[in-house]
Amino acid sequence: MRSRWLAVYSGALLAFLHAPLLVLIVFSFNASRFTVWEGFSLRWYGAAVNDPQLSESLVNSLIIAGVSSVLATLIGTLAAYAIWRRAAPVFSGSLYLSLITPEIVSGVSLLALFQWFFRFAHLKLGMYTVVIAHVAFSLAYVAIVISARLKSYDRSLEEAALDLGATEWRAFRKVTLPFLAPAVAAAFLLALVVSFDDYVITSLVAGVDSETLPMVIYAMARRGVSPVVNAVSSLILIAFGGIILISQRLQRQ
Amino acid sequence: MNLRRWFLLPARVWMALSFAAPLAFVCGYAFLTRGDFGGVDRPWTLESFARLADPIYLGILWRSVWIAAAATASCVLLGFPLALFIARAGKRRNLYLQLVLLPFWTSFLVRTYAWLFILRETGLVNTILMGLHVIHSPIQLLYNDGAVLLGLVYNFLPFFVLPLYATLEKMDPLLLEAAADLGAKPRRVLWRVIVPLSAPGIAAGSVLVFIPCLGAYLTPDLLGGGKSIMLGNLIQNQFTTSRDWPFGSAASIVLMLTGALLLSALLRSRAARELL
Amino acid sequence: MQRRGFLFAGAGALSCARDKRPRLNVYNWSAYIDPAMLARFEAERGIRIRYGTYESNEEMLAKIASGNSGWDVVFPTHSRLAPMAAHGLIAPLDHRRLPGLQNLDVRFQRPVWDPTIQWGVPYMWNATGIAYNKAEVPQPHGWEALWSPALRGRMTMLDDPEDVIGACLEKLHFPFSSGDEAQLTAAAAEAIRQKPLLRGYINAEVRDQLTAGDVLACQLWSTTAAQAIRANRNLGFAFPEEGYPLYCDCAVVLRESTRYELAHEFLDFLLRPDVALANSRVADTATAVKVDDSHDVVLYPPGSIYRTGVWVAALPVQAQKIRDILWTRIKAV
Repeated sequence: MRSRWLAVYSGALLAFLHAPLLVLIVFSFNASRFTVWEGFSLRWYGAAVNDPQLSESLVNSLIIAGVSSVLATLIGTLAAYAIWRRAAPVFSGSLYLSLITPEIVSGVSLLALFQWFFRFAHLKLGMYTVVIAHVAFSLAYVAIVISARLKSYDRSLEEAALDLGATEWRAFRKVTLPFLAPAVAAAFLLALVVSFDDYVITSLVAGVDSETLPMVIYAMARRGVSPVVNAVSSLILIAFGGIILISQRLQRQ
Repeated sequence: MNLRRWFLLPARVWMALSFAAPLAFVCGYAFLTRGDFGGVDRPWTLESFARLADPIYLGILWRSVWIAAAATASCVLLGFPLALFIARAGKRRNLYLQLVLLPFWTSFLVRTYAWLFILRETGLVNTILMGLHVIHSPIQLLYNDGAVLLGLVYNFLPFFVLPLYATLEKMDPLLLEAAADLGAKPRRVLWRVIVPLSAPGIAAGSVLVFIPCLGAYLTPDLLGGGKSIMLGNLIQNQFTTSRDWPFGSAASIVLMLTGALLLSALLRSRAARELL
Repeated sequence: MQRRGFLFAGAGALSCARDKRPRLNVYNWSAYIDPAMLARFEAERGIRIRYGTYESNEEMLAKIASGNSGWDVVFPTHSRLAPMAAHGLIAPLDHRRLPGLQNLDVRFQRPVWDPTIQWGVPYMWNATGIAYNKAEVPQPHGWEALWSPALRGRMTMLDDPEDVIGACLEKLHFPFSSGDEAQLTAAAAEAIRQKPLLRGYINAEVRDQLTAGDVLACQLWSTTAAQAIRANRNLGFAFPEEGYPLYCDCAVVLRESTRYELAHEFLDFLLRPDVALANSRVADTATAVKVDDSHDVVLYPPGSIYRTGVWVAALPVQAQKIRDILWTRIKAV
């Protein structure tokens, strides 16, 4: 009985999370440029598919989000494990501080740092500066999620493996890492989403060739071509929704 | 202990280069004079910090803390049952997890614009309520603290649900069954077994919600109509329209100190020590 | 599976970068050009344009301030030209390479901010005024209309200290760009008096609420108002009689650019009347080039009204600081 209530409640909350998506999908089929219904039309989908800037920035965003979330998950997981083994107060403190820093401040100061560095090295802003920035702000998310799970990890499991003659590395890989797997997955997803959606920091450290999807979407939305934005968002949602369903099917088989 | 050092090294290097070094720039900026169009100039001065002594900024700080705390509390109350549900969903866990995150593949701006449409006078909620004759004239749902709170909770809920899920997931169902077999009532099981075991997840999730909310600026701007500002807006304005980087840096140092103080107070409190 | 996807995507990006044509990097306000015109210039000259967009002068300035941003052409607002030139960020224009300058409308042949067009070619311009719903609100004459108690909760101001405090100054018959502390303080008091009547301080987002009827009167840019009016014929735009601000975005060549000649060719291309007209139609903004679109009285205020507008001047640093503190006060009460 209780678990049914829990399911109903969770369904309602998920509906709340998805309500705005429904709105934007409906309006992506609206003939009008504005949020007043004028009739069904596919014109915004046509415009979205034919916009080279959109597809280019989508590719950029996927590369940046993919690379930076893999890096952040890797580095962050290792760091969280190291902190768990023995506290590193200064390092943990800096992780939390990085979370507190307002985006515009991290963005502007990173930009200043890059520009200062470029005075000596003949480099320019580009995709790699965006990745550096994204890993920097994702690290805290990853480390905090992993640490939370490690709090309930029984140290004796790993010790048993060491006693049985496993090397430190082997014990970590064979015993600890499998235990961490759900948290690693959760952290990776968070890092992926945070990176894919970031606008403020990205727009400041992006170079000539690294416009990301949020940058293009912001530009469109703020100046009055928002239905195209709705169409793009709907396409992305449908694509990711599809991937989720397919992977679910595959898992079940 | 060798392995530990190697594990920590990449994160240390990354944080030093891409967080600590820029932070040093911010600290430097805070003591400089504003440049003509953004940027900073000499001479060194304490003026930016002196300006912060104005009680008006204390009011803004207090408001930010209050709203961030309210958003965090709402996320805890709303998110806990959902995380519990997902953790118990068996094979469907991943599906639900992805569903929680699905909305966040759209841009933040797009989601917020959708809320603008839902909440405005000619929007979805008012139209439905008027159609059902619940109300006779539209009520103003937008541009108040409630709308800001709604926007923050909506955008930060996954940051609470995911870490909590990650700790709840390993909870042994046998443990709950054992408690029930020993005659514990469901409520007692919840408070005596589930909540204490999930405390690290609740703490991690709360931090991930509270801290970014403290510096939020776009939600108060778009859903609050810019009528009242949080610290995040103040800082954002200094780096954009006001072009006063030193003052913006000083304000963000204050924000970071506030966050750090609140955080360490929280982590050192007796309740936290017992739970964690 | 996912990783392979990234590899493919990476390969795609690399193949773009291998394009051997010479390249011009143009950094402009979002939605401020007709993409077809970019394609036309690329085809005519056999080059490639890398086109990026920004949302505010400050964002653009933060990027280019170091002098190694990689951009060639940017479009600052007229009041930013002088400080940018003073900091050595922009290259003086070579008029021999810009025969199209004669196509400029007479108002932009000798602009007050740059009389010899030494630094920037006027590109597009717009005004800040009052957009209103003609069915519900009488035609506004001055800024006073936005203090009307009858419209409580249905009015908005822009979220920008320059525009809001400037409008308050003009309402009090002080100059829009006044730096006088007493006048600024009086203006802030006006804004604080107005605040309870306002729905909010909202920029371009107000457009949808204006067309849908949630907002009945608001301070707005003529370009955004023109878009709203096209969607809802019941809307109108008024230029306040006490005066109103004018802004002009100008195309400049950055000093760091290594493609000085190509950049000039692009600037000259933008001055062609047909190109300017196409860009202006896409951006819903008035072009500085002489075109036959003057029937649009929202974008191109007729002579008598145009003369009451003022080209905004940048405030001295001290006055700006006062204005910023007042703005925070307005927002925080």
